[in-house]
Amino acid sequence: MVDQLPNRGLELEMLEEMGFSSIDDLFSDIPERVRMNAQLDLPPPQSEEEIIADARRLLGSNLAMADVVSFLGAGLYRNYVPASVFQLVTRGEFLTSYTPYQPEVSQGMLQAMWEFQTLVSELIGLPISNLSLYDGSTAAAEALTCAVRVHNRKATQKDTVYISELTPPDRVSVMQNYCQGAGIEIKYLHHNQDGTIDLSSVEQAAGSCGIYVEQPNPLGLLDGGYTKLKEIIGENTALIIGIQPISLGLVEAPGNYGADIVVGEGQPLGSPVTAGGPIYGIFACSKTYLRLMPGRIVGRSIDVDGKEAYCLTLSTREQHIRRHRATSNICTNETLIALMGAMHMSLLGPEGLEHLALRNITACNLAKQKLGEINTIAIPHSSGSHFNEFIVELPASAADCLKYLDGVGIIGGFDAGRWYNGRKNWLLVTVTDQTSAQEIELLAAHLAVWSAGVIA
Amino acid sequence: MSRLFDFAGAEGMGYSQPDTLLPADSVTLPKNLVRKDLPRWPRLSEPEMVRHYTWLSRRNYGIDTGFYPLGSCTMKHNPRINEVIAQIPGIADIHPHQPEHHIQGLLSIFHEMQHMLAICSGMDQVTLQPVAGAQGEFTAVRCVQEYFRSRGEHQRTKVIVPDSAHGTNPASAAMAGFEIIEIPSLEDGRIDIEALKAVVDDTVALMMVTNPNTLGLFENDISDASDIIHSVGGQMYYDGANFNAILGRTSPGLMGFDAVHFNLHKTFSQPHGGGGPGSGPIGVKGHLAEFLPGPIVKKRPIVGDEAKFAVDEMWYGWYQPANSIGKVQQWHGNSGAVIRCWAYYRRYGYGLKDMSEHAVLNANYLRHALHREAKNAGVEDMFVDGANTHVAKHEFTLSLQPAKEKYGISAMDVAKGLLDQGYMAPTVYFPLVVPECMMFEPTETESRDTLDQFAKDFIKVLQQDAETLHEAPITTPVRRVDEVYAARNLCLRHPFDDE
Repeated sequence: MVDQLPNRGLELEMLEEMGFSSIDDLFSDIPERVRMNAQLDLPPPQSEEEIIADARRLLGSNLAMADVVSFLGAGLYRNYVPASVFQLVTRGEFLTSYTPYQPEVSQGMLQAMWEFQTLVSELIGLPISNLSLYDGSTAAAEALTCAVRVHNRKATQKDTVYISELTPPDRVSVMQNYCQGAGIEIKYLHHNQDGTIDLSSVEQAAGSCGIYVEQPNPLGLLDGGYTKLKEIIGENTALIIGIQPISLGLVEAPGNYGADIVVGEGQPLGSPVTAGGPIYGIFACSKTYLRLMPGRIVGRSIDVDGKEAYCLTLSTREQHIRRHRATSNICTNETLIALMGAMHMSLLGPEGLEHLALRNITACNLAKQKLGEINTIAIPHSSGSHFNEFIVELPASAADCLKYLDGVGIIGGFDAGRWYNGRKNWLLVTVTDQTSAQEIELLAAHLAVWSAGVIA
Repeated sequence: MSRLFDFAGAEGMGYSQPDTLLPADSVTLPKNLVRKDLPRWPRLSEPEMVRHYTWLSRRNYGIDTGFYPLGSCTMKHNPRINEVIAQIPGIADIHPHQPEHHIQGLLSIFHEMQHMLAICSGMDQVTLQPVAGAQGEFTAVRCVQEYFRSRGEHQRTKVIVPDSAHGTNPASAAMAGFEIIEIPSLEDGRIDIEALKAVVDDTVALMMVTNPNTLGLFENDISDASDIIHSVGGQMYYDGANFNAILGRTSPGLMGFDAVHFNLHKTFSQPHGGGGPGSGPIGVKGHLAEFLPGPIVKKRPIVGDEAKFAVDEMWYGWYQPANSIGKVQQWHGNSGAVIRCWAYYRRYGYGLKDMSEHAVLNANYLRHALHREAKNAGVEDMFVDGANTHVAKHEFTLSLQPAKEKYGISAMDVAKGLLDQGYMAPTVYFPLVVPECMMFEPTETESRDTLDQFAKDFIKVLQQDAETLHEAPITTPVRRVDEVYAARNLCLRHPFDDE
C-alpha cells in the first residue's frame, strides 16, 4: 500500500519537524461532535493485481456489443476508434493536465482544442464551436436556454421553445430539468405519417425563441423539409439542429440550410460507447449567440514576443467569473474525449469522413432491403432516406422480439415503444460501419422465423 | 511549429477503411440534403498525425510532467491500472440500453460505488448519474426544489451561498431558478454565523457549504450552521470539492448535511484530461432519495435461472425513484470515470482515511517548509499566511501582498516564475478574500523530497528582482500570453485562405 503514498513511513518525522506529535493533531480543528471515530465499514485494500483480477471477472462477465451481433443504437453508435487515438490520448501530458488556466505551459491542449473548434465548425457549417459540453442531451438543453437568452426580448411567444415530438424522452427529461429554472415552456412540433416534419406545425413556432429538431431524426430519417425551416420561423427564432456527426460526410452541413445552433452526440467520432459516458456533446453556433453561449472557448492570440499562442477566451460568460449570472454552471467538461474526436477527425480527413458515412448508409440500405423482403414485418417509413437506423413494425411487441433474438445471440435493436406511446411493436434497428453483411443476413433470418412463429 | 491545417496531403489520405457493403452510387438522398462541399479538414497520414499530437503533448504540462500544486483542483497521481481497466470491452463496448442480464458485473460495480460513497459521506442513497461536480450541485438543488414543492412549501425560493464559495454553487442554484443570497465570510473565509442568522427565514430552501472551505480551513461552526438552517426548515448542501481532506475523519452526514456531491475526479483520481471528463455523483438523506434522477442500482437475492447471469448471489437491477426529478444526462452518467474511481477506491478500501491524512500531512508540511525556507533565506517578509490558523487541511493559502507592496512582485509574477522552475503554478487570485492569493494543494501523492525542493525553488523565485519576474516565463513554449488581445481580436477557428 506504499505505492500511492510516497510519504508512508515518514509521517512521524514530518509531524515532528512541524512540532506535532501525531496525525490526530492535524485534525484537531474538527469538533468532537462531528468526528468519525470508527473505521470506515469497507473491505480491506487490494493490490493492483487483485484489482485487475476483479475487474476482469466483473467486467468480463458483461456482454460487450462485439461479443454478439448488435443492432442497438438509438443515439449512441458502435464505431471503430483508430489505435493511434488511444495511444496518443493516454500520453500523460494530455491525460493528467488540468484546465489550461496557465496558457504558457498548456499550449498543446489549447491548440488541440482550437483545432477541434475548427474541425467541428467545418463539419457543421457554423463559425463557432466550444470545447464540448457533457453529452448530446445537455448540449441540446443548453441550446434551448441559450436561444431564450438571445431571442426572448423580441419574441412574441416569450419563454417558449418548440422541440420535435420524436425527441427521445430521456433527452426531453434533461431539457426539462435545464429549462424549468428559467421558466421556459417546452412545446412540441409534430411529424407527418411518413416521419417527416409537419411544416404547418412549425409555423406555430414562429415568434418563439427556438425550435429543436434532429437530422437524422430519431426514426433514422433524413428530412429534406428541414431546409425550409429557417424561412418559416424567421430571423428571431433559433433553428437548433441535433446531428449525428458521421452523417455529415454525405448530408449537407446544417449551417448551410439555416441552422443557428448545432448540437449533437460527438461520440461516433473518436469515442467508444462506454455505457454512455464519458462521451462529448457538440455545441456550435453563429456569431449571434457567441456572448451568451455556454462552455469554454479557445482563442488564438500572441505572447509578449508577438509569437502565435493560444488561451481561453470570453471567460466572462463563465461561472468562475460571472457566478449566478453565468450563461451556464458548466466547469469541468469533456475535453479529453473531444481531443479523441479531434484526433479521429484528423486521421479521417474529408474523404475518410465521406467514406465512413457511406459505409453507414449502404449498410443501412442493405439491411432495409433484406428486412424489407420479409413479408411478416413492415418498414413504415420505407419511402424515406435513412442514415443508419430505421423503424421495423413487428407483428408483436418489440420487447418479445428482443427477448427471442437475445436467446440466439443478437441484440436486435431498441424497443421504440419505450419512447412512443402505442408503438410497442416498433423496433429501431441500427446498422453502422461496424455491421457486416453476414450479420444483416442473420438478423433477417431470425426476424423471419420469429415473426412467422408469432403470426402462426 | 506544427499546425494541423497545414497538412494538405493527397485526397483520401489518412486512415484506411474497409469497403462499403453496397456501391456508393446506389445511395440516393433528398437532393437538397446532398452535401456540396466536404469539410475543409486536413489530410494527414498516420505518421504525420502521430507526430503532430505528440508534438502538441510536449507543449502541455501534466502531473506526469511534474509537481502540480494547483489549489482546489486536487492534482494527484492517476494510477495507470485505472486506464487499463476502463478499456476492457465489458465497459468500453457496453451500450446503456442493454438489458440488465447483459451487465450484471457492471451494475454490481455501480452498486458497490453507490454503497461506498454512501458509507463515506453518511448519506442514505447515491446516484452516479451527474457527470461533473457542477452538474452534481445542480442535480441536488433540483431534488431539494422538488422535495419542497411536494410538501407545498413553494415560498422557499432562496439559496444561501457564502461569498467564498466556488462560482459553480451560485451558478447551479440560479440555473434551477433560485434567488441567491450571498453572505459575507469571516476574514479567514469561514461562515459568519451572525450574518447567517440575519438572513434565514422560511423562504430559505438550501444553504451550500464547502468544508473544508476554499481557504483550506475546517468550518468548526458547521453544526451550528446546520442547526440554524434546519430550524427554519431549510436543507444543507455539502459541496464535495474538498472531501479529500476529511474522508474517514468526519462526514457530511455527521455535520448535518442533507445532500452532497462528490468530485470523483478529485477525490478518487479520474484524470482531469485538460478540463474533463469528470464525474459528480450525489448522495442524499432518506427524505430526498425518491427525488433522485433515475435509474439507480438496487440489489435483491437472485431468483430462478438468474444465476446463469449473476456475478454473486444478488441481482443488480435498475430502480426508478418514485418522485424523480428526471434525468440530468441522457445515459447513466460518466460510467467510464466511475469504473476508474472504483479501481482507485479498491486500492484503499477501509484505508481511504490514509489518503486524506496524507493529503493533509503534505499540505501542512509544505506550508511549514515554505516558511522554513523563507526564514533561512531571509525573505520571510515577502508573504504571510492567507488565514491565521494552527493547522490547514488539504490546501492552504499565502498572501503575497507584502511582496507586492515592498518589491512590486505580484502573485501572478511568482506564478509565472514557478513555470520557469519547471512547476505548475499554484492557483492565483482565488479565493478573493485573500489579497494577492496563492493557493497550494500538494496532494498525498508527492514525496517529502519533492515538497522540500519545491519550497526551495519557490524561495529562489522570490529572490529574483521584480523586473526579471515581470518577464517570466522565459523557458516555456510561449511567453506570457496576451489574453486581452485574444478577446479583442477574436480568432476562434483556423482562418482559411479565402477568409
